[in-house]
Amino acid sequence: MKRRIITYLVLIIVYLILAIPFKGLTIIPGFSDIRPVTLLGPIYALFFGVPGCSIFALMNLVMDAFSGGLMWSSIAGLIANFIGPFLILLYWTKYSKTTLHLKKPGNILHFSLTLIIVAVIQAAIITPCVALLYPDVDWKLFFASVVFNTAVFPILFSTPLILLLREKLGFKQIGYVDPAVK
Amino acid sequence: MPIILLVKTKSNDIIRGMNSFQANLCLLCVTLCWSTEVIIFSVIPDSVSPFATTCITSLVGALLIFLIFRKRIIDEVSGNPKKILLRCLLLGIMNCAYNLLYLFGLKYFDVSSGAFTFSMTAVVIPVILLTMRQKVDLKTWLSAGFVFIGILLAIAPTASVGQTMGIIFVGLGCIIRAVYIVILNKYANENDPVTLSSLLSGIVSILSVGLWFAFDPSGFGKIPWNDQIIASLAIYSFVIVAFAQTLNIFAQKKSTPANATIIYSTEIIFSTIWGVMLPASMIDKTPLTLWIILGVVMVVIGNLITIIPSHRELQDES
Repeated sequence: MKRRIITYLVLIIVYLILAIPFKGLTIIPGFSDIRPVTLLGPIYALFFGVPGCSIFALMNLVMDAFSGGLMWSSIAGLIANFIGPFLILLYWTKYSKTTLHLKKPGNILHFSLTLIIVAVIQAAIITPCVALLYPDVDWKLFFASVVFNTAVFPILFSTPLILLLREKLGFKQIGYVDPAVK
Repeated sequence: MPIILLVKTKSNDIIRGMNSFQANLCLLCVTLCWSTEVIIFSVIPDSVSPFATTCITSLVGALLIFLIFRKRIIDEVSGNPKKILLRCLLLGIMNCAYNLLYLFGLKYFDVSSGAFTFSMTAVVIPVILLTMRQKVDLKTWLSAGFVFIGILLAIAPTASVGQTMGIIFVGLGCIIRAVYIVILNKYANENDPVTLSSLLSGIVSILSVGLWFAFDPSGFGKIPWNDQIIASLAIYSFVIVAFAQTLNIFAQKKSTPANATIIYSTEIIFSTIWGVMLPASMIDKTPLTLWIILGVVMVVIGNLITIIPSHRELQDES
């Protein structure tokens, strides 16, 4: 139990370290900014399961609260930021016929495609709420910024980070079986 | 408690290593991180010494890695402290030397030409490897050839006699960097990459203090501390020093120095993209001439030859 609490605290600290410095890079004031921290979504899901997804979603809400961006649409943000990483976890541990080994270009493209689809789903959850509650906001720009944040940073940085954690630092990726061993 | 202890796993059961394709992808990610340096530092005034930023970010990066992997680093260093410290000192001195030469050399070039000349390391390294009697395969020569043609296409139309000193500085810097990469590759295979990364950052930080006060004695007080500068330094420390450098050393274990350097040359591609796409308030705009486009295309071809594994390579590694 103590080990688990320490792990969750570390996940929270890592999130804050990556989120706080970028808080000033705004796309739509109060609504959207450049968030490289989104790269942690797939990592938290694939290495720490449902608790990882929950921490990721809750920390997004906490950051909204502390940066003055807490609005009714943040609830949609909370749901989307849980569902996104959870879908990645669900797909790669239950439904995909291949394991997420990232050893071949095809597997990396497959992973990138799931990240893009999940990003679109997340944007589709948050954008209608923002559009309904705040009609002044340019919903097209908002949708694009959510897709950009949620797809581009994970695609660029998650793959090397997963490799680093799994292959070199000894972290256990949920559902991973080395194809060479299988 | 180091993060690695938080996960219930026997590391030996998990660590099976990257294949060369994965290592190349990691190196590509490292280069992408490095290329953002100009964007991250765009909020820092020119009056702040580059050695000051190197000193601060290297120190924060070194401490961050040390705090996370304290036990692992202490275990590694306690084995043979003199050997690993001397190795990191050598790497640190070389790192500072080539960065200093690049800094002097850059004064003779505009931003885009400067970025292209840095990539001469990719061309120098096969020659350095040959002089060290190491085998260089045909694929590497082909890649280096394309990168070299790319560099010539991009800088030749604007080159002038007045840039001779700049070429000498950058050329010397490239030779030192090439030797640095060869040595780093060797040490990455013999030592723990996390320890190397942390100690190397710490030593670079100490060396940069000296250079900082030698070139800009006004020191710490001259930095106009504000939220943006603190954020930039923090981002640089986390992303470029702690993450990219550690990932680089891990990837070097599976890659060859020649492959790594060719992939580093993609920094030109990323820099050109930033220079064209980002606003002038964030970055010095790059004039997109036909020669630069052709140069970038050649560098892309050179890299594709290196990065994409052949069917045979994939079969060998699986």
